[in-house]
Amino acid sequence: MIEAGHFAAILALVFSAVQAFTGLRGNRGQSGLFAQLAFAAMVFAFFTLLWAFARSDFSVQLVAANSHTLKPFVYKLAGTWGNHEGSMALWCVVGLGFGAAGAWLLKSDRPVFEARALGVQGILSLSSLLYLLLASSPFTRLDPAPLQGQGLNPLLQDPALAIHPPMLYLGYVGYSFVFALAAAGLIEKRVDRQWAKTARPWALAAFVPLSLGIALGSYWAYYELGWGGWWFWDPVENASLMPWLIGAALMHSIIVTEKRGSFAAWTSLLAVLAFCFSLLGAFLVRSGVLTSVHAFAVDPLRGSFLLGGLLVLGGSALLLFALRAPKLKGGPDWLATSREGALMGNNLILTVATATVLLGTLFPLIAEAAGQTISVGEPYFNLTFTPIMALALLALPVVQAWAWGKADLSSLWKWAGGFAGLVALFWLAGIGPFDIPLMAGIGLALGVWLIVGAGQEMWRRAKSLGRLPKMPLRVWGMTLAHAGLGLFVIGAVLQTSGRTQTTLALEAGESANIAGWTVTLEDVRSIEGPNWYADRAHLIATKPGTKAELNPQKRYYPAARMPTTETAIHKTGTADLYVALGDGRRAAGGPTRWTFEVFVNPLIDFIYVGVILIGLGGALAMFDRRGSGKVS
Amino acid sequence: MKLILASLLFLFAAEGQLADPDQEARAQDLMREIRCVACENEPISNSGSDIAADMRERVRTMIADGASDDEVRDWFSERYGEFVLFRPSSKGFDGLLLWGLPFILLVGGAALILAVRSRKASDANAIKPVPPEDV
Repeated sequence: MIEAGHFAAILALVFSAVQAFTGLRGNRGQSGLFAQLAFAAMVFAFFTLLWAFARSDFSVQLVAANSHTLKPFVYKLAGTWGNHEGSMALWCVVGLGFGAAGAWLLKSDRPVFEARALGVQGILSLSSLLYLLLASSPFTRLDPAPLQGQGLNPLLQDPALAIHPPMLYLGYVGYSFVFALAAAGLIEKRVDRQWAKTARPWALAAFVPLSLGIALGSYWAYYELGWGGWWFWDPVENASLMPWLIGAALMHSIIVTEKRGSFAAWTSLLAVLAFCFSLLGAFLVRSGVLTSVHAFAVDPLRGSFLLGGLLVLGGSALLLFALRAPKLKGGPDWLATSREGALMGNNLILTVATATVLLGTLFPLIAEAAGQTISVGEPYFNLTFTPIMALALLALPVVQAWAWGKADLSSLWKWAGGFAGLVALFWLAGIGPFDIPLMAGIGLALGVWLIVGAGQEMWRRAKSLGRLPKMPLRVWGMTLAHAGLGLFVIGAVLQTSGRTQTTLALEAGESANIAGWTVTLEDVRSIEGPNWYADRAHLIATKPGTKAELNPQKRYYPAARMPTTETAIHKTGTADLYVALGDGRRAAGGPTRWTFEVFVNPLIDFIYVGVILIGLGGALAMFDRRGSGKVS
Repeated sequence: MKLILASLLFLFAAEGQLADPDQEARAQDLMREIRCVACENEPISNSGSDIAADMRERVRTMIADGASDDEVRDWFSERYGEFVLFRPSSKGFDGLLLWGLPFILLVGGAALILAVRSRKASDANAIKPVPPEDV
């Protein structure tokens, strides 16, 4: 069975090569056909892997190394991509899927352009399949087959993490098709309004799952690692943030190209860079050049393969860009204070923010080459990335009403007054129980500012309640995404400055007080699951008027010889009471004392709801029917 | 990888917090900036390793004895090297580059855009504003 899969993957490679060749020669029909054939073959190859994992076929090396008969069925399936080789197979499925979808959905009056895009996508598919088959083949047999597998990293046995990689890959690899569209547009010297209209839904199709994938990873880290935080500025997290930021810049600049024909060169550059940053992310994560809490499947040889691919693909695209960009046409003239100027400011800030993340992530590497070891962590990003992004958030509600070409600046002073009033309000109020300092007050005011600004802009456009449902999906998408950004900011600010962390050591029957809660340890018991056993604490937390039961666990997975923390989270609606169980220690002759990490995380759900709204907004914009067809 | 796993063991010793809440808050802020020397990429506030517990204890002791935040940072970087601080130094050319480049890029980029605009822009009165009816 797995040999059939191996053969199918080789077939997909051949089909992709034909897709690339016919596409670059301008044959839309043949290239599209082979894109779909290649996808079908790759789906079959991936299915044989899924099948091997489902049946725990330990004669397949990958299954033996990453699965176990005692594992729940869902995680056997998810184990297919819970390792390097399988996840690269998924990468190929998604990449070829975007090629096939492009062959199916691209319907402009430019068949040669479409053929070239499919051809470039074919080259990208070919490269990923070569990498899969030559440097990380999942189709290897193991003889003799072991009776039992070695299990999957227990940290990965989790629903959020089962769907985190597919989501993230839809985003990363989705940008490969945006890259292909940009390359084809540059080859044809036609990055114009029609091009932007064709490419825009694809840029959104990558941005939405990337946003959700990052949020899932962050949520998983929050409840699974037991550290009480949601973002650690870890290199692997940064690797996913960089394509997201560039993707966000692209999403805005492509609007200018679609509506006005301006920024054509800049938009095509961003379209190329988004995928380059995705590849850079893959390289940083998989090569092990950076130390990271969740680098897995680290291998220097694979790293050089990825870096080579990045340099060749990115380099040729940039060369193409340098040759063709001067030949692209611009749009009508505009002043710095105009919608074009505002979106250029948005792009400047987002690209500088990306550069900051890149600098902070790579600087330790550069310093190490110069013989120094330094660390760049959260304090650095809080003092550089955050204020730079804050500028964009501050400007957003003001400039989003600006007209193309030239803006009416007469109401600027009203906006300034409005924001100053908001900051003063938050500062004076001290935000009730949380006792917020000035910087946090500004942050919270920014969040409210964004939400009110999003609503205000919607109202300005709709002018009456009755017209709200008739507003275009794109306008709804923009409103939801900007309001979601506001919710995210509020959640993030409260998390940074309003959370409390305490380490408790309790014996059974003892109580402790934290942030208004009285936490009592009832008992700690041993329990057993299908492929783990655990210590489970039973805690009762009370607050005047509320009572919560919390059962944090510390699990041990014998097959992987590895412990995990299962945190207990009680949601009150305004905060999470978050408890992670530590170790038990017995004093000589005395009872066992258990340690707990207890956090009170105010409004942390705003972070995740905010990102979901951003994703939903992007999806609405993507499905707007005006997004397809010809420019008016 | 093993180090990560070890850190997940959560070998937290029961820890005494400082009585003064302001001092404790400062200590906790510092613990988020100081890197655990036995772990992969974690501040001592998160790490479960024994050495991180010792380092937390040291931060609290120094704060209780009246040390400033910088004195605590210096103490750690003298013993473990600059690697131990998640807030890299802004001294020297490297430090200035690291901390300054984002802002230089921002200001330089904005200046460049404005310069190109003012050179290109024709008569401002000739430009007709077009209100955005869609996005």
